[in-house]
Amino acid sequence: MIKITQWIVVCLVLCVSVGIAFSQGLSPPSNVTAVDTPNDDGSSVTIKWDAAPEDSGISGYQILRRIAGGGLEEIGEMLPAGTTTYVDATIEKGNVYAYIVRAVTETEATVDSNETAPTTGTDEWFHTGRIPLFVAMLLFGAAIVWNIYDARSGKEIFVRRIPGLEAVDEAIGRATEMGRSILYVLGLGGVSGPATIASMTILGQVARRTADYETPLRVPCRDPIVMSVVREMVKASYLDEGRPDAYNEENIFYLTSGQFAYAAGVDGMMIREKPAAVFLQGTFYAESLILAETGNSIGAIQIAGTDSEHQLPFLITACDYTLIGEELYAASTYLSREPMLLGSLKGQDWGKVLIFASLVLGVLLELSGVNWITTLLQRVG
Amino acid sequence: MRRQVPLILCFVFGVVMMLTQFSPHSFSQGIYEEVLSWALIISPFMLVLGTVTLIQTHVARIRRRTEHWQYSFIIFAGILLMVVIGIPFGPQHPIFVWLFNNVQVPMDATMFSLLAFFIASAAYRAFRARTFEASLLLVTALIVMLGNVPIGDLFWNTVLSGLPWDNGLSDTKQWILDNPNLSARRGIILGVSLGAISQSIRILLGIERSYLGGGD
Repeated sequence: MIKITQWIVVCLVLCVSVGIAFSQGLSPPSNVTAVDTPNDDGSSVTIKWDAAPEDSGISGYQILRRIAGGGLEEIGEMLPAGTTTYVDATIEKGNVYAYIVRAVTETEATVDSNETAPTTGTDEWFHTGRIPLFVAMLLFGAAIVWNIYDARSGKEIFVRRIPGLEAVDEAIGRATEMGRSILYVLGLGGVSGPATIASMTILGQVARRTADYETPLRVPCRDPIVMSVVREMVKASYLDEGRPDAYNEENIFYLTSGQFAYAAGVDGMMIREKPAAVFLQGTFYAESLILAETGNSIGAIQIAGTDSEHQLPFLITACDYTLIGEELYAASTYLSREPMLLGSLKGQDWGKVLIFASLVLGVLLELSGVNWITTLLQRVG
Repeated sequence: MRRQVPLILCFVFGVVMMLTQFSPHSFSQGIYEEVLSWALIISPFMLVLGTVTLIQTHVARIRRRTEHWQYSFIIFAGILLMVVIGIPFGPQHPIFVWLFNNVQVPMDATMFSLLAFFIASAAYRAFRARTFEASLLLVTALIVMLGNVPIGDLFWNTVLSGLPWDNGLSDTKQWILDNPNLSARRGIILGVSLGAISQSIRILLGIERSYLGGGD
């Protein structure tokens, strides 16, 4: 008797649900497709369906999944109305999946789409969305490599004057005349940071000159690995100049890893030792102005350089010379004047010309109503 | 040989890591993750190296009685205290947390707060209207500063209420930030990116090798 009652209740509920669904004209999600998500490691499937009309009464969608040979299971949360795409990132490689999109109304009535064709996730070897970026990288890389090897022929390469680098000798000379030290600050970057590497190569050139002039060079480091590399570099510079006796390892030391503790330590050194020249080269954050203003207050000649564009205004304001962005990377080349390195600078300029030409072409095409270049750049972005 | 091996390793790993950025395949992403985890191995060495160097530096200072050598004892006391509490009881121990929150954090905050005064002194020097450029900078800075505070628009909408548009200062500020300022920033970012790529290629090809310790 109880079973019969249960069956009647279930049938009634079903009839009411179907009746409500039909009374509201609820139609199943159409054109439901499930495909392997492009440009991924085969760990997801993308399900798409057509948008339902606004007055369809659908309040959301629930995705159901069937692993080949198994039953249906609900996956994920209920999706809001208006959704037309769902990425199932919970699949296992090798399994075959089919999907159903279930439309749900506010009254909990449901209607299911047709089951999609079985699909599976596959590993992609190449990200097709990054082809433009890859081509641009190859072109730019080729331009640099070609110019580097072209420079070996001994051609004269013009490099514009960079006042900040012209002043390096002046700063070292001033420190030597005053009998004071030079303080070289590498910033907060780690050894893998491009700006830190650029800064270390500049330091190598500065160390050659301080070795010649026997000017004390003090380098407080924030990273012990950077400190080890810098010690090796400076030692090699002193050896190259034939002054290994003038090298003092204790002048290159680890201070602290804390950002403001480092700033406090360097500021303390500036106030106590009053170096005649301060180099602030590398990656800086909020401490940049604290360091630069303290250096300014002690009357040191300051040469700064950073790739942190947010800190540039502070350094430009407080320092005598500032290497802006790319000038930091060009510095080691500029100071060493090695032909092959100069060639890379020329290749870099070719890249700038390419970008500038793309910008001009893009603006002209946009003004003419043609927007493929903008679309391409947006895709890459 | 001492130089060739690092240069070859640098080239191979540099190229492989670059290519993994263009391949979503689980094999290449596996390599990427694996190499990154290798890099993490350096961290414990870094900690040991940093501690040893710090101790060496301050022992030398005390031994030579250099200026303010007494402060080196404070360094040792600090290290010892945090190690004695941190290693047996862990960094969540109330005393460890209390020391961090009541010593380290206020000292950091003190240094950071100095920035406000340094900004004022730097701005004073930068905004002295001695040249056309400095005057331009001064006017722009005034607009941006006033546009950032409610009193700027209050002034504009009351004192200059006869003008045909409202909230002129904040609108002008936004225009300055969105157009000339952003254009200049993007120019710098493009230059920085090209410079970094160029430097990376020089390092990968072994042309720039000063990071290995000077000349050849």
